[in-house]
Amino acid sequence: MTRTCGDARRRAARLLRWYPKSWRARYGEEFAELLASDLSERPRSRGRSANVAWSGVVARLTSVGLTSHALEPSDQVRAGLASLGCALAVFLVFGAAMWSQLTVGWQWARPDTFGTRAAMVVMSGVMLVFVVLAVLAAIPVAGVVFGRMARRRAHGLVRPSLLVLAGAAVLIIGGRHFGNGWPGTGGHPWAHQGLVPGGVAAFMWASTLAISSYWAHPAALLIFPPAEVAWMVVSPLAMVCVVVGATKVVRRLEVSPRLLRYEGRLGRVASVAMGVFIVGSCGWIVDGGPGPRDLFHVGAIDIAGLALMTAASLVALRSIHRAHGTGLSLLAD
Amino acid sequence: MAKAARSGTQPNDTVTSPEALGTFGRYAGPATLILSSLAEGEKHGYALTKDIEAFAGVRLAPGTLYEALSRLEGQGLIQALASEDRRRPYRLTALGATALRAHLASQRRVADVGLRRLAGSGYTA
Repeated sequence: MTRTCGDARRRAARLLRWYPKSWRARYGEEFAELLASDLSERPRSRGRSANVAWSGVVARLTSVGLTSHALEPSDQVRAGLASLGCALAVFLVFGAAMWSQLTVGWQWARPDTFGTRAAMVVMSGVMLVFVVLAVLAAIPVAGVVFGRMARRRAHGLVRPSLLVLAGAAVLIIGGRHFGNGWPGTGGHPWAHQGLVPGGVAAFMWASTLAISSYWAHPAALLIFPPAEVAWMVVSPLAMVCVVVGATKVVRRLEVSPRLLRYEGRLGRVASVAMGVFIVGSCGWIVDGGPGPRDLFHVGAIDIAGLALMTAASLVALRSIHRAHGTGLSLLAD
Repeated sequence: MAKAARSGTQPNDTVTSPEALGTFGRYAGPATLILSSLAEGEKHGYALTKDIEAFAGVRLAPGTLYEALSRLEGQGLIQALASEDRRRPYRLTALGATALRAHLASQRRVADVGLRRLAGSGYTA
């Protein structure tokens, strides 16, 4: 192999990384061969690199069921549910950050406008719906995973399951630790005067502490206790572990069409709940002024959070539409 | 094309109508070029690129080529053959030949109408 040919193959291998693993397993070798030939013929072409990058992104979106390219029905449903789960996770992180700062604020003082109070009641109700949906969705999936583990047929499921458990453990322990001492927790005198139990609000606030405008103000961040700053770095990583692990489990787990349909119905309810939560948060942003003690002030990060939640809910809607439209209807029992 | 249609195999998974090419969106153009190239006989990716460049004057970028190949294969319009020295040839299936014939006939009707109207309009080349 000449040096030029070797270079072309190395560059082809690098470009191939844009594509998902499943695509590389099917087309990788022949595509790398084509790229190597093309690179030898035209060593410099920005258009080619951009085309490969774009096609790789499209292939990745296809593999998670977000393009019009149809997958096998069960793959389509699993891909749709997995991308719905990822979108929901992004939505929940920003939604919980917004909701928890408001509910912690209510521990200090009740909002003085009806609009903000109504918005917070709506958002709190939807949060409760999300908890119920998460439990209803997780129980049967966990049952199947544990059943496979008991029969020693959980190939490819053990690591992602451990990743979910480790991430969740870090979030629960850290959230409890950093939430303790805030109003409503640890015997604080203002306990039980808010909209929701203070411990719940403080736990959610601590778990989403990383969603903060302080990242844009490093000088202010330096005044924070080092452990708190470390938690602001560690907690998003723990969330990523939970989401990546759960996504891998959903993509790899072979379950019955009946269970897929059940999860699809829950996904549909979740997408409606996302819309209702956005209506609630818009209500607060439109109505919200500083409120008593400046507790309900709307900041730039809240607007950015709302924009991200809207984008996540659109992705979730598309995912559930694809799962229902081309997957669930074709699934046979 | 007739030869390819006779030697083509059944689509591997999904049931596709002959009008399937119309559902390819922005990949309809590349898909038509690929099917037209394969109508001559089986080819691998690089040979497809060179042949299409020769007969249509279009150089399909690698990413576009494989995105279209993957869609065509998924719809059962082409079939992948056993790999030869890291290069995998593809061939047209019977369904692919039918879809290509229907699509080209439709394109020809559009071209005929356009050319007839141009001729009658007084525009000159």
